[in-house]
Amino acid sequence: MSSQPAPVGIVVVSHSRCLADAAVALATEMVRGRDARIAVAAGLDAQTLGTDAVQIQQAIEQVDGPAGVVVLMDLGSAVLSAELAIDLLGDPTARDRVVLCPGPLVEGLVVAVVAASGGADRHEVAAEAASALMGKQSHLVPAGAGAGAGAGAAEPTEDEPAEVVGVFTVANAHGLHARPAARLVGEVRTLDAQVRLRNRTTGAGPVAASSLTKVATLGAQQGHQVEVSASGTQARRALEHVLALAARRFDEVDPPAPTAPDAAGVGGGRPAPACAQPASPGIAIGPVLAVRAAPPLVPDEAPATAAVEWRRLGEAVAAPRREVQRLRAAAVREVGETEAAIFDAHLMLLDDPDLLAEVRRGVDAGQGAPAAWDRAVVAVERDLAALSDPYLRARAADVRAVGDQVLRAMTGQPADAVQGEGILVARDLTPATAAGLRRDRIRGIVLALGSPTSHAAILARSRGIPTVVGAGPDALAIPAGTTLVVDGGTGEIVVDPAPAVLADYRERARRQERQAAEQLAAATRPARTRDDVDVLVSANLGSVADARAAQASGADAAGLVRTEFLFFNRDRAPDVDEQEAEYRAIAEAMGGRRITIRTLDAGGDKPVPYLRMPAEANPFLGVRGIRLTLKHPALLHDQLVAICRVARETPVSVLFPMVSGPRELLAARTALAAAAADAGGMPAGLEVGIMVEVPAAALKIESLLPHVDFLSVGTNDLTQYALAADRGNAAVGTLLDPLDPGVLALVDLVCCAARDRVPVAVCGEVAADETAIPLLLGLGVADLSVSPYAVPAIKSRVREFDLGACQLLARAALGLADADEVRAAITRWAGRCGLPGYSL
Amino acid sequence: MPDSISCEVLQRWIRAFARLVADNEEYLTRLDASIGDADHGTNMNRGMTAVVAALDSAENVASPAALFKQVGMTLVSTVGGASGPLFGTLFLRMGTACGDVEVLDAGGFARALRAALEGVVARGKAETGDKTMYDALAPAVDALEAALDAGGSLAAAVRAAHAAGVSGRDATTAMLARKGRASYLGERSVGHQDPGATSVALLLQAAAGVIPARSDSSSGSASGQP
Repeated sequence: MSSQPAPVGIVVVSHSRCLADAAVALATEMVRGRDARIAVAAGLDAQTLGTDAVQIQQAIEQVDGPAGVVVLMDLGSAVLSAELAIDLLGDPTARDRVVLCPGPLVEGLVVAVVAASGGADRHEVAAEAASALMGKQSHLVPAGAGAGAGAGAAEPTEDEPAEVVGVFTVANAHGLHARPAARLVGEVRTLDAQVRLRNRTTGAGPVAASSLTKVATLGAQQGHQVEVSASGTQARRALEHVLALAARRFDEVDPPAPTAPDAAGVGGGRPAPACAQPASPGIAIGPVLAVRAAPPLVPDEAPATAAVEWRRLGEAVAAPRREVQRLRAAAVREVGETEAAIFDAHLMLLDDPDLLAEVRRGVDAGQGAPAAWDRAVVAVERDLAALSDPYLRARAADVRAVGDQVLRAMTGQPADAVQGEGILVARDLTPATAAGLRRDRIRGIVLALGSPTSHAAILARSRGIPTVVGAGPDALAIPAGTTLVVDGGTGEIVVDPAPAVLADYRERARRQERQAAEQLAAATRPARTRDDVDVLVSANLGSVADARAAQASGADAAGLVRTEFLFFNRDRAPDVDEQEAEYRAIAEAMGGRRITIRTLDAGGDKPVPYLRMPAEANPFLGVRGIRLTLKHPALLHDQLVAICRVARETPVSVLFPMVSGPRELLAARTALAAAAADAGGMPAGLEVGIMVEVPAAALKIESLLPHVDFLSVGTNDLTQYALAADRGNAAVGTLLDPLDPGVLALVDLVCCAARDRVPVAVCGEVAADETAIPLLLGLGVADLSVSPYAVPAIKSRVREFDLGACQLLARAALGLADADEVRAAITRWAGRCGLPGYSL
Repeated sequence: MPDSISCEVLQRWIRAFARLVADNEEYLTRLDASIGDADHGTNMNRGMTAVVAALDSAENVASPAALFKQVGMTLVSTVGGASGPLFGTLFLRMGTACGDVEVLDAGGFARALRAALEGVVARGKAETGDKTMYDALAPAVDALEAALDAGGSLAAAVRAAHAAGVSGRDATTAMLARKGRASYLGERSVGHQDPGATSVALLLQAAAGVIPARSDSSSGSASGQP
């Protein structure tokens, strides 16, 4: 093959060297082993962002040849520098061989590299790369501006060849449903051709093959004949691609059980008892709940200018897109690429040119973005709902769901509400949704995705709701109303259990309840060790209902009142009066016991929409906790005024989260003093403390101690920061053990420094880990703050230990290498101490 | 010959511009922070610092054309942002327009600036009122030509160009951005002065400060000067 002419050269121009190199690596993966002529001109150097016309000129000259060069650029100066580079070319005849391609850098490069290695000429390569932008173009180019506007910078094309036509027969079992349709649309969109489809069998169509919603309205079922007509510069290629794709069943792997479409129309077979990951212990039995969102309302408001409304839509689409992309990535990681492809259909809907053109028409005609979007979505939904195929009819619900997501993002309305009482089955829960779960309604939770260390799992544990995570997408197909058994202690899920199995689980649940009842009966007594040291067992709360539960569970205090529930799911911050009323209600529900109120602990991972928090690459390392509230002084002031008012009547402590040094703490104390002045003076019993969750704060605890009345170690974050392991990333989940001696050393440092000066509490998950309790007590922790439902069990556990023995255990643990060794040491120690019931 | 500019004066112009850019780096970046990506001052200063270093190490720049080419090529390689190709083109086109002369006369200087303006338009595709460097440069070139046409001295013409550039720069504040990243802001770009136009005004300020000193005194026409 060495006699073949060299392919078209490709130059990648970017502000960033890293970006360009990575894009090239991504693209060349597609043509492994084949010849690719690619040069990079990116960054002023390896670190400095910028573009350099001379570098580009040299890159062009490096890959130039008889076939010419296609240049792909990122934004702004990249384009200007590339144009200038052409002027700078030493060989003026080379200018005619260079095509500047308006395609998007990454997608365009991938397409261009494939086309070039396939022998396409430079104009074909550029055209292929340019049309990789079609999704964005349809999104951004105003309706009516015509295709020419978006492609204005593209190379002039030859006269369009005549239309080409072909036919395929649908082989897929469920017809052209969302997944194969998404694959078809994706293929068509990469080509510079207008492709239309008609269902010959039913006569439906023709419709644009670039529109997912339109393709779905063809109602193309297995055995139907679909006519493909294509025009445009790549018409023939488009037709060939579509027919080839159809012959491959649109790359869909049919389900293993080749059942005939069943009458129920709900996807056939039941998943067998699946074993997912346990995330919150306890056995739950009940019907699968229907999750039904209260439909978002289209606000009755005067629209702004068309440009503003259009931009509003663009911004609103971004959040659901990110959410779907996040779910897709999680699904790929946890259940595989084939299953994850369903999310592509959702993403395509958000970029659907037909749908967006319809919205644009509405906006241009003077409608507000929410109204125009809603009308367009309703129209698509209606088209789909009118189809005879039950599978496709069900896609109307997908359209509605995605449409509602956008509408909610646009109007700031809260998301899903759960109807009835039973077991919640969902893909995943956002922290905001999880925060709203009620234990009296949700008996158990099954998540298709997620990890035991995610916020959703932690919140479920804190509410005592049995939960399993990572159950896979099959769980989502279980019809509402089906009886489900969930064992959050083992990860077992049983769908529609046989009577004997059900009886067995009921017996196990009863045993657990009996033990819990015994512990509860003793819970009002203090947790006193065998050597007569009282340990405070207090509760972490997120609502007044939690406070009632804590009071009923015998909690000695509220060790942590999370106030985020007051701030999420609304369009502005609660005012002083509302907060005061909530805090007072919590204090009253706790029967006058001390409550420790944490100031708003939000951040990029737990966003509050009205605070306009910029997206961050690493929200856990970004503006969260005290860093955020110090940037919003009015909000912090209001919260502190409300806290001070309540503190004048009942014992209250205030807790500042995410403090990394005395400067932040002193700023927060200054804000507290100002708030106290507005609340009638500093309340006498108000104590001030900080969360110790930043490793640096633990290491320089001496600099913070003079300014606090107590410390509360947030082991969840302290662990993820100390071990550099993301709590939301299941792949590093095994590292995330707070019993790692590195984390224990930080806790030890804090306790040693604080001894005889201020008390140290632990309010992280580990405080409720029965294995860890002797270790924490031995290190010097005086207050274990746990979820309300865990209080009785923890209290009964504390009573088994001798503090002196615990201290010996702690010293030994600090010298070990990892959490596994620590846990083994605790087991051996428990055996020596004669705690035979102490198993792991 | 009166009203002419030597290579040495042009060098002083460039160095004066570099000093002004350095003195105003933070100011330019702050302007860019309001409506762009907050790098204009940094980028321009990096570019002009490199230009000065190149001039320092160059043996002897023989002609205005060579000088401007060197300035332009240095800028396109070191600025990094859109100002690189734009200011780079400005100087490269000036260099081309100068032709093979050792000293630039008034007409030659005006032709060079006109070519620079055309280059900027070709590169940036900006029009009047788009809130770009064009809005300062175009009135300045017009004013320079008008003053020379009316028989004014080169020094007076450069001062007129500077004044027109300053007015043009100030006018960008009320404009709605239609080019570059600022255009993403739409209505919110109104009320902020354009950083590119501000840099052009500095370039003209440097010219007004340097060119009279030499050309006026060499022609002996400046009143009140020693």
